[in-house]
Amino acid sequence: MNPAVFIGFVGLGLAVTLHVIFVSMTIGSGLLAALYRWKAYRENDPWAELFARKVFKVLIVSELFSGVWGTIITVFLAGFFTAVTTLATNTLFIPIAIAIASIMIRIPTIAISWYTWGKIHPRTHSLVMWVMALSGFGVPFGFRAIFAEINHPVAVGYYLQTGHNPGFMPYSNPLFWTLYLHTVAAVISTGGFVAASLLALDKDPRGVKSGLLLGVGFLVAQLIFGPLYYFSLDWYSPLLFKAVNGEFLSLFVIKLAAVAALLALGFVSYKAARGGVISSYVKWLGPLALFTVALGEILNDGGRYPNLVILGDKGLSADLFANFYIDIPMPAVYVILAFLVLSVVVFTMAAFYALYKRFIAEVPEV
Amino acid sequence: MTNPNPLLPLSALGVYFHGMYISLTFGLPVAIGIMLWKWWRTGDSDYYKAARIMTAVLGVNFALGAITGTLVEFGLVQVWPGVNLAIATFAFAPLALELIAFANEIAFLVLFIVTLGRVKPPTSIAILSLYAAFAYFSGVLITAVNSWMQAPWGVGPVAKTLYPFMPEYGPNVVDVPKLVALKLAAVATGQPISLLIEKPGFAQEVGIVLKDPMVAFYSPYALVSIFHNILAAILIGMAVATAGWAYRYFKTGDQKYLKIVKPLAGAFAVLFVIQAPIVAHFMGEAVVHYNPTKFALMEGAEKTYHDPIIALVAYGDPNKPIIGFDELEKACMSNTLTVGDLAKALNLPQTLKLAGQSVDISSLASVKLSDLCLADLQKAKAYMPLIHTAYYVKVAFAIIGGLAAAVLFFYFYKVPGLSAIASAIARIFGDEKRRVFLLALLLVLGTVIPAVGGWAVREIGRKPWSVYGLLYPSEIVTPVSYAASPGFLAFAYLIILAVNLGGLYAMYLVATRGYKFLELLKKGAGVGK
Repeated sequence: MNPAVFIGFVGLGLAVTLHVIFVSMTIGSGLLAALYRWKAYRENDPWAELFARKVFKVLIVSELFSGVWGTIITVFLAGFFTAVTTLATNTLFIPIAIAIASIMIRIPTIAISWYTWGKIHPRTHSLVMWVMALSGFGVPFGFRAIFAEINHPVAVGYYLQTGHNPGFMPYSNPLFWTLYLHTVAAVISTGGFVAASLLALDKDPRGVKSGLLLGVGFLVAQLIFGPLYYFSLDWYSPLLFKAVNGEFLSLFVIKLAAVAALLALGFVSYKAARGGVISSYVKWLGPLALFTVALGEILNDGGRYPNLVILGDKGLSADLFANFYIDIPMPAVYVILAFLVLSVVVFTMAAFYALYKRFIAEVPEV
Repeated sequence: MTNPNPLLPLSALGVYFHGMYISLTFGLPVAIGIMLWKWWRTGDSDYYKAARIMTAVLGVNFALGAITGTLVEFGLVQVWPGVNLAIATFAFAPLALELIAFANEIAFLVLFIVTLGRVKPPTSIAILSLYAAFAYFSGVLITAVNSWMQAPWGVGPVAKTLYPFMPEYGPNVVDVPKLVALKLAAVATGQPISLLIEKPGFAQEVGIVLKDPMVAFYSPYALVSIFHNILAAILIGMAVATAGWAYRYFKTGDQKYLKIVKPLAGAFAVLFVIQAPIVAHFMGEAVVHYNPTKFALMEGAEKTYHDPIIALVAYGDPNKPIIGFDELEKACMSNTLTVGDLAKALNLPQTLKLAGQSVDISSLASVKLSDLCLADLQKAKAYMPLIHTAYYVKVAFAIIGGLAAAVLFFYFYKVPGLSAIASAIARIFGDEKRRVFLLALLLVLGTVIPAVGGWAVREIGRKPWSVYGLLYPSEIVTPVSYAASPGFLAFAYLIILAVNLGGLYAMYLVATRGYKFLELLKKGAGVGK
């Protein structure tokens, strides 16, 4: 593989992994925050309101930074892999439109939810929060169709054979549904574990219990969706399946061990939280869930290397889709990667002050 | 083939909303910085509160700016996928560097929001400055890309060969035969170029098209556009902030709001002096030189005419004529080449082999370049009433804005003679509350309307091309025909309008409404009992 294409592949992989880590945190915690904001309004429960606000901090701190990595993915794709980006936009027009519409609703409603909290009627605020939470699921509903198509091109295959736009056909791709269900369960579960870890720092057993209920509950659902996705890869994307069970087997085993640990420790911690005790494991469950998510994405995308698209037991090399129109200025690319690392450092500092040092007030300042 | 015409206003709407938020993104940090500075120097908490409110507005505004940026970005790659070829070549370096700007802009903004009021004012100002620096850097890079579409720097004489009235756009760092082959293939097949570049292996087959990926940065058009656009955006943001506080003063009569308006109006006037007479002049000169059709449209020059004032401003020579479309048409007629001659000169075969597809360009061989040139001038001329009006409305409101800025400045900052005149003019508007508010409102009108008109002139004025002198919208539009269907357009308009209007209303609420519904939260947190 040409060095520029290799850097493009690795850079894209890094951006996708970081993006997925962030969105896994925010989609699940957004749902949890909306649920408890609504409960607070319905039941006039002060604890639920405070809990929703605390969980929401995760979104307010990380959603925009998460979006940055989405932009980085797009630029890497269009800049380094021009053909695949153009093919995707020409073919998967509807899924991409769904994802963009969802992003357009999602990000402003996060900012609006935060800054209008206490300024608008709680009923209206709860409604905005629900719109915010549910729009989050529209984003993977669009973008996961692309991932499913590059692993098993149903709609793209139809387009290349007939020249006709496949419309909603990406949603007839069986791999899409198994991947989407696996993704949805993962993000909700991760959001729950992250919220539990955060509330453990706050020494709030009820908050820990609420987070763990969601985390463990959807991790149990993964016992169905995970294997379903795994076997659907065997059926529809055998080359990727082979890679996961071959070159990437060690990572796959680590991922399974992480899931098992998460399930066991999550269950133990949940039982403890029900008794009003915060287990010492809880603060590690959020990071462990995020680690599991990252491993899953590396397996999914790294397993394709050196291909960008998989056709059954064959692969289409990344070179076929790469940008050869210019000699990519590699020094500029390295500078960019260095500055992206700087942004991660700055963001981590902000997140540390916001979430750990609790610089963001629960009750808004007037 | 997809009709690009219904998609152009949709893209414009997205760009306008994005531009509006960007203006606040650029202007509010200056206003917040001034408030933090005043708070630091005076210890007056009114300045801190003002900074906090504007930071909350900036937070919502930034989210809206980010999503409209996403919309514009995806609009480019999805609705105009032919642009991917530009992203892979001329725009590669600016857009790749934009990642630095965008990622750090957000990281520092979040850090600023999180630490505001928790760290000392100079630290907050430093973090805010870093955020603003990356935000402006982002503006520099995006403007560089947009400027390349206005004046495609690095294609040397390519556009001039087709349109003799155009200048050469910098050095020739492109592989001309490949570029022309792509263009001819698109014209011969009647298909957008995205249908070529989407083919696996196509880029490998074509090979290097652009020899210097950094060339977009060397453009003088980009340099002047960067200053012009960024300053304009800062001025709009500053004007909105000034008018917001002036409105509060108008409604309440509370002197603390006047105290906030004063330094904002002062900073605005200083920046306006740099923008209007200096930077805008150089921008105009760049348009005259690099976009001859746009200049003729702006001046309503169907025929060449003499106007010493315009000529002095445009060329620095009152005796030079304002070049109209008649002269541009004459230049077209001077071209005696045909497409076939051009292909022969570039050693292009009659049948192009592109990604396994054979494209016969012999049907174009007899087409005269002068006919293409004249046809494009006719298309451009159709925009004359719109561009001419937009340009002069823009100029008129910029003058109004400038006068309002001067009056407000000398009203607040006493300069013998000038302040007396300013006070006399200000008194026309009524009592102090009214005069401050109305003058601040004129700042908004004097910046927003010129910006709206300016972008219309900039973007519509380069039609019929998307990339000036090189590519038409029909060549870069999506091949997905339902993208231009009423159903999809209605869906897209609905989402864009609902999100943006809802967002703007939310910003208004954040800026104006107090906390009314915090009892439950306070009870939960155990405070304020």
